[in-house]
Amino acid sequence: LPAGGVSLRLCSTRVASEGVNKPVIDRIIRVDHAGEYGANRIYAGQMAVLGRSSAGPVIQQMWNQEKDHLKKFNELMVAYRVRPTVLLPFWNVAGFVLGAGSALLGKRGAMACTVAVEESISDHYNSQIRTLMEEDPEKYKELLQIIKQFRDDEREHHDIGLEHDAEAAPAYSVLKTAIQLGCKAAIFLSERI
Amino acid sequence: VRCQLSPPRRPFQASAVLRRVSDEEKKEPLASSSQQQFDSHPADHQPEQGPQGPRPSYTGQGGQESEDYESEEQLQHRILTAALEFVPEHGWSAEAIAEGAKTLGLSVAAAGMFHSDGSELILHFVSQCNTKLSELLEQEQKLVQLGEAEKKPTDQFLRDAVEVRLRMLIPYIEKWPQALSILLLPHNIPSSLNLLTSMIDDIWHYAGDQSTDFNWYTRRAVLTGIYNTTELVMMQDSSPDFEETWRFLENRVADAMNMGNTANQVQSTGEAVVQGLMGAAVTVSNAETSRAVR
Repeated sequence: LPAGGVSLRLCSTRVASEGVNKPVIDRIIRVDHAGEYGANRIYAGQMAVLGRSSAGPVIQQMWNQEKDHLKKFNELMVAYRVRPTVLLPFWNVAGFVLGAGSALLGKRGAMACTVAVEESISDHYNSQIRTLMEEDPEKYKELLQIIKQFRDDEREHHDIGLEHDAEAAPAYSVLKTAIQLGCKAAIFLSERI
Repeated sequence: VRCQLSPPRRPFQASAVLRRVSDEEKKEPLASSSQQQFDSHPADHQPEQGPQGPRPSYTGQGGQESEDYESEEQLQHRILTAALEFVPEHGWSAEAIAEGAKTLGLSVAAAGMFHSDGSELILHFVSQCNTKLSELLEQEQKLVQLGEAEKKPTDQFLRDAVEVRLRMLIPYIEKWPQALSILLLPHNIPSSLNLLTSMIDDIWHYAGDQSTDFNWYTRRAVLTGIYNTTELVMMQDSSPDFEETWRFLENRVADAMNMGNTANQVQSTGEAVVQGLMGAAVTVSNAETSRAVR
């Protein structure tokens, strides 16, 4: 008896642009966009609490850099026609709450949060760089350059956080572990949903 | 006589039954029949003949292909395209596919390659329509970029795109309700949903949507709703050239545009109210402070 379900390629009418590995690029851009968006909200929360304190200018400067990152990913998202994660409204609130909450623990708490998040993000960017290098460094040259630059910026934020006594924050290691676990979960979800 | 069956691409594939026994022969030019070692069946110079004996394989082997090489998938697409002409008469069914196969000179048994409910025929048709729509939108975009055409306002763009796409159903409108119900069968839902969402995404892309926040979802959900409801209205429309449908479409698109405006208005009103309350609170606290000082 003939088996009915022949799988004709009927699903997508969209042509892949210049042989780009769409699923991989989709995930990368979606999760990075979500990450920068979340980072923006975290700094916004921190500024809401510590804006007028001595840490204000430092946080503001890091926030400005994150705004630039987000702008870049907005452009990439449109260029590659990538869908944003459906969890954006959630990251909006969660990011702000995390930023404000950590800032309420004081300047050191905010810096500890920064250290934790920036470490997660730079590790995550590193693994993306590895993935793209394995795929085809030439084809993804522009994207690789951008991610490398951003990874360096996040690393710098991480170091700034350490310079500003992040490790002296109350319950530093617990805080750091908890925040990094949250980041891992956020990354996992944003890649897929 | 060499009796070598090439391994079927997929097990239990119906077309294996239709395969010629000595597949190797396909590599040599079909003109030189004397070289061929066919079995007792009448020599077929063309790959496709009337319903006599097994059909030749098109999946190819060892990377060697004659000029008539065609993948199985391409053959299936050709059969389905040919079958469309018989849909108004036979509906979306195996009969239409069989008739289509006949016009290509294939056996009606070729219809056995497909599901008996006509699913692949419908999905093929939808996919074809979506591709046509994308091409039209792409051309339109090029004209605008070259300055040879005016850029349409969003509501008109959406209206025109949906109308163009729905008009492709007109030749098959009698049988389209049947097609819609088949597309809703559980085993078809992933494919039909995929086709629908990529079409809607295409329309928004060419309409110039650049949202990177939750609006991305809202806009697509709204347009999907407009498309689906207009399609249903079209099924029951008996007005000349479906005027009622296009009027319905115009109204729904206008509603959607208003919704956007209303949302903005609600937000700015809310912000204004909050500012007003904050101002009031500050005034009261100042008044209290100055009273306390006196």
